[in-house]
Amino acid sequence: MAVASSASPQRAGLFGRLFSAPGRGWLTLPVICFLLAVFVFPLVLIGLYSVNLLTNLFGVPTNFSLVNWESFLPPGDNVFWDRFKISMVITLLVSVMAVVAAYPLAYFLAFVARKRRYTLLLLILAPFFTSYLLRVIAWKVILANNGVINSALWELGIREQGDGIQWLIYSWFAVALVLFYSWVPFVALPIYVVLENMDRRLLEAAQDLGAGRLRTFFRVTLPLSLPGVIAAFVFVLIPTTGEFIAPLLVGGPDNSMFGNSIQAFFSETPNWNYGAVLAVWLIAIVIVLVLLFGRFLSTDLRQGRATA
Amino acid sequence: MERMDRRKFLASSAVFGGGVLLAGCGGGAGSQPSAGGTPTETHPPIGQEPGTLNILEWPGYEAGGTKAQTYGMLAGTNYTDEFGADGLKYTYIVNDTQAVNKARQTEFDLMHPCIENVQDYVNSGLVQPWDTSLLPSFKNLNPALTERGMVDGKQYFVPWDWGYASILYRTDMVDAADATGWELFWNEKYKGRISMWDGAQSNFEVAALKLGFPEMDNQTSDQVQQSKEALIEQKPLNKFYWKSTYSDMQPAFKAGDIWIAYSWQDGYVNMKAEGLAVDFMQPSQGKLGWVCGFMLGAKTKSYHHAHKYVESFLDHEACVDLVNLFYYGSADTTVQPSDVENKALAKKLNIGDPEALNGDDVNIQSWMPNEDEVALAWQEVSAA
Repeated sequence: MAVASSASPQRAGLFGRLFSAPGRGWLTLPVICFLLAVFVFPLVLIGLYSVNLLTNLFGVPTNFSLVNWESFLPPGDNVFWDRFKISMVITLLVSVMAVVAAYPLAYFLAFVARKRRYTLLLLILAPFFTSYLLRVIAWKVILANNGVINSALWELGIREQGDGIQWLIYSWFAVALVLFYSWVPFVALPIYVVLENMDRRLLEAAQDLGAGRLRTFFRVTLPLSLPGVIAAFVFVLIPTTGEFIAPLLVGGPDNSMFGNSIQAFFSETPNWNYGAVLAVWLIAIVIVLVLLFGRFLSTDLRQGRATA
Repeated sequence: MERMDRRKFLASSAVFGGGVLLAGCGGGAGSQPSAGGTPTETHPPIGQEPGTLNILEWPGYEAGGTKAQTYGMLAGTNYTDEFGADGLKYTYIVNDTQAVNKARQTEFDLMHPCIENVQDYVNSGLVQPWDTSLLPSFKNLNPALTERGMVDGKQYFVPWDWGYASILYRTDMVDAADATGWELFWNEKYKGRISMWDGAQSNFEVAALKLGFPEMDNQTSDQVQQSKEALIEQKPLNKFYWKSTYSDMQPAFKAGDIWIAYSWQDGYVNMKAEGLAVDFMQPSQGKLGWVCGFMLGAKTKSYHHAHKYVESFLDHEACVDLVNLFYYGSADTTVQPSDVENKALAKKLNIGDPEALNGDDVNIQSWMPNEDEVALAWQEVSAA
């Protein structure tokens, strides 16, 4: 919204513009109602749960109370706060790795693959025609102690039969690997779009001016593609902060993430109030992340307007 | 939290809560009201009832004669023969807390909770007592179990199935000297070969038994803390906390990844069938015992149909079929060991023994007055 008003020369503000241009402004009303009903209203409800103004428990009085917030937020020891910190580290790690891995992929598609690029793009996206859950379970088959990798090692005589690599599954490695695998193609897309639409003449100019390939990449290609890179980074960072399926299926007892705690509070325990505190906190963090990176996220990635 | 998908049920459902609404549409000719129900003051006769039943059920327990029943279970067939299957609608649950939450959000005519949650349903006003005179087979039920199904002198809960939970372990990997009781979960020797269930109440019960608390389901706050610390201490010894007996515990056990697991008796039966050297422990502190059964929706419009439905489950032949199909115990005391096809299993699991749940060697799970406190403590263990 801030972008919209600052981009407009009018000083009438959002509502002023809506009402002064009834022909167009009112058209946004259904969308605004929809967003209010399915996004804002539930968020408000969750917020009310978090301060104990609503509860799912019977016979418990609903009074405004910050007890759950005080218990969760530092200072003071709280296991869920620790879980949040660990989850953020994993999330950042996965996001960085996914971007680093996706960049060459996007580069290949944009500059090398030429005619075959759309076929390749389709191939990269092909696994996404099946559900996320099935893909995670497929990883279980690969990583399990008698799974594809360990069986191969046994057959090749590299490890003794029955002695599988223990950290392959039910570990942070497995959780990070599955998340990384899941996001790489999505991360590659925004980077690809930026690279694909880059003005090639700039690259020629750089070479004409005597820059080598590496120098061209680091001085021209990479800076121009940064909006795509940051968009990609945010693409993976934000959904991964709330991830709970991968840790649930391939994580061990120690590898649950913040999303698992939230999920458990709503489904496994009858304490929605505490779960709401964790959920609101996560939403707040995501909003902060969006604001932080928002300025890099040009609405039109092709222009590569943002400079870094 | 006692019955998470004992039947073959995909992990997907477990993950997403399994909130599938499935019509039990069978080939029947629809509801055929018949005269003969005993009209009472408050309930119209069976002929005037809509005849539809909204049932909160575990996957696998659908009435025989519905398309959803794929195990060939006999129970319920009498009902579908008489009234057809079109009126039966199943909503699935995978654990007890979820069941209570769903029952609070939607009105069900029939529910199939386990005994430790009966008080929750009654307290929330979700259920009404049964009229046992409308259940001819009720007299066959184990009085020790039906008594536990009474609240304020009224029969709110009709027990149907029961079973054990204990430690399933590999006899070729675990020293017999170590396999004495629940403390096996805490044995450092087997680090990384253990898997406890991802269930709050049962894990706190196990911890209470290990710590020797007198009442496992009525722990003081101090005891809850001690149990929590014991479970945090135990946590690193687990390979993983299992979520689904069929999709992660049993495959991992079969593959040899884990040697020691919290299990219901189906795990034992299946691993034995796989040819593994396994035993289902008789812990020195006693096994855990669970009892599940039927509860009647407070606002059901199909009062008599609901009774007919449950009667078709209490039917003697249906109960015999239950023990042979799933190797769970039946509340029907007329099921004799001689009715069980696999005699060795019948003996091992006390199926057909009406005294099975009465001894000191089993701790029947019951209502935890402070279940919220325990549930929070379990989340702290998970996040620790």
